[in-house]
Amino acid sequence: MKISRRAALFAAGAGAVVVGAGAVGISVAEYDPPEPAAPPATDAQGHVVWRNWSGIRHSYPQSRIAPASEDELAHRLKTSPAPVRAVGAGHSFMPLVPTNGTLLSLDAMSGVTAVEGDQATVWAGTRLGDLGPALASHGRAMANLPDINKQSLGGALGTATHGTGKHLRAIHGDVTALRLATVDGNIVECSKDKNPDLFDAARVSLGSLGIIVQARLTTIPSRRLHRRVWLESFEETLAAAEQRWSTHRNFEFYAVPFTGLAANITHDETNEPARPRGPETDSQFLEALKALRNLFSFSNTVRKAAARVLLASSQANPEEAVDDGWKLLSTERPVRFNEMEFHLPADAQLAALREVVETIERERHDIFFPIEARRIAPDDAWLSPFQGGPRGSIAVHTYYKDEYEFLFQLIEPILRRHGGRPHWGKLNSLRGADFAAMYPKWKDFLDLRRSLDPDGRLLNDYLRGIFLS
Amino acid sequence: MKGTVRIALCATSIALLSGCDSGPPTPEQLAALKPADARLAAMYEHSCKACHATPGSGAPLVHDHGAWDPRWAKGLGVLRDHAIVGFQAMPAGGQCAVCTPADYEKLIRFMADQEDK
Repeated sequence: MKISRRAALFAAGAGAVVVGAGAVGISVAEYDPPEPAAPPATDAQGHVVWRNWSGIRHSYPQSRIAPASEDELAHRLKTSPAPVRAVGAGHSFMPLVPTNGTLLSLDAMSGVTAVEGDQATVWAGTRLGDLGPALASHGRAMANLPDINKQSLGGALGTATHGTGKHLRAIHGDVTALRLATVDGNIVECSKDKNPDLFDAARVSLGSLGIIVQARLTTIPSRRLHRRVWLESFEETLAAAEQRWSTHRNFEFYAVPFTGLAANITHDETNEPARPRGPETDSQFLEALKALRNLFSFSNTVRKAAARVLLASSQANPEEAVDDGWKLLSTERPVRFNEMEFHLPADAQLAALREVVETIERERHDIFFPIEARRIAPDDAWLSPFQGGPRGSIAVHTYYKDEYEFLFQLIEPILRRHGGRPHWGKLNSLRGADFAAMYPKWKDFLDLRRSLDPDGRLLNDYLRGIFLS
Repeated sequence: MKGTVRIALCATSIALLSGCDSGPPTPEQLAALKPADARLAAMYEHSCKACHATPGSGAPLVHDHGAWDPRWAKGLGVLRDHAIVGFQAMPAGGQCAVCTPADYEKLIRFMADQEDK
């Protein structure tokens, strides 16, 4: 969560309440569930485990490779044990990466190779956190960024990772050309002018057509942004959200369940001198929300009243910062979580969000993570969730030590009923037939995939399930 | 994660979030420190450094004995396995997809400033 300085104020207030409750209260407030059971570090054959960031997916790859050139990658792609699955930061909650064949890292193929005009050519292994300063050294910037900076560019493109902004597209929407390594050992170039079908399919392709090696991106001049974060009532935020999406470069908000409040975040271009954000404090905000959960989950009324008292002072103290966009839009997320995010038709987003919050407050008193709402401009990649019109996203998070199955039973039906398409990397239970009904070019994608990888060397069990079922 | 009360006291008493520990490396040291071995340095800079050289990330900072010594006391094998399977805020593998168990041991020794042990 990007709540920042109010986290400190909130944590201080929560602490005061806990101290007032005495030693037992402190003990209850500080309760942290046990660490989820971990798989063995190695399997019977001595293969080391791979787990995703949140810990819910794992496998024991028999081979791990990190090619340092296109030629090496093309060769290894042809010869390494299948399935070959590329991994970046492992931030996907869906089983996109698990393989008992070959785990492919592009960490050795990282960096900006050229900047010409507004076009930057970037190796797909580049982490987003490194891309910002690399482009800034050329006076350029990505138009938008997601809120986590760990992902590799290839992983972010492959899963349609996005930021927020009514007039800003997901990262793949700014791609103008790709170089793709295919399982026959070749490197294929594609753009709107060269292999246009492959270009439209490959921008969001889950590593199933080939491995994205390099992308050419449209960039913008590097500008400072003015960041403002403030709390207000959830109802006020809902009433103002459309206007804020229209008037701010970037706007998002977090509905904070069991508080009646929402944290609003805007970013706008400015020429003001830099005023950096300071240390990350969002973990403390979450810790305080967890303490409120631990103490007051027996009564929504008491929990809400306590939260509003504790947050009253911070409501009067919005966070302000000015800095380069890459330093503000995308940050560390030190507290691990699991997440479901769907992208809904924009005009359905706010009604669906209200229903999600009401459902959580009625059914799941154990939830304490804020619920994120963002807006994304459309693009035309075949499997882009933003294909066909603007989308509003709703993301529900659960602490990594907490149960998350309820997302499928309670939250997914709401998001689907409102016309949502799932984020490709985040929790969902959809199958091939569901995606076929959502994406007009689904069959074209399947045909292209089959022509590029007829033996399914790039498909793990999950991808076989959705592409071959 | 630290306890809420301790966070609250820390946050209120030290001008909101300047940190409770004493004696960690300076920002300049955090930026400059890396293993001497080039291959290991590349792994560190690609994976570990993002958290272990970032104050406030929750991770023990590189060469911060105040943070590392209690962990080192658990034993290198325990720390290696925590790095591989994940533990608390530490994601499994520490964002390194190609590190071997021996690499993790070397990286932990470096970050804990125990390379001579």
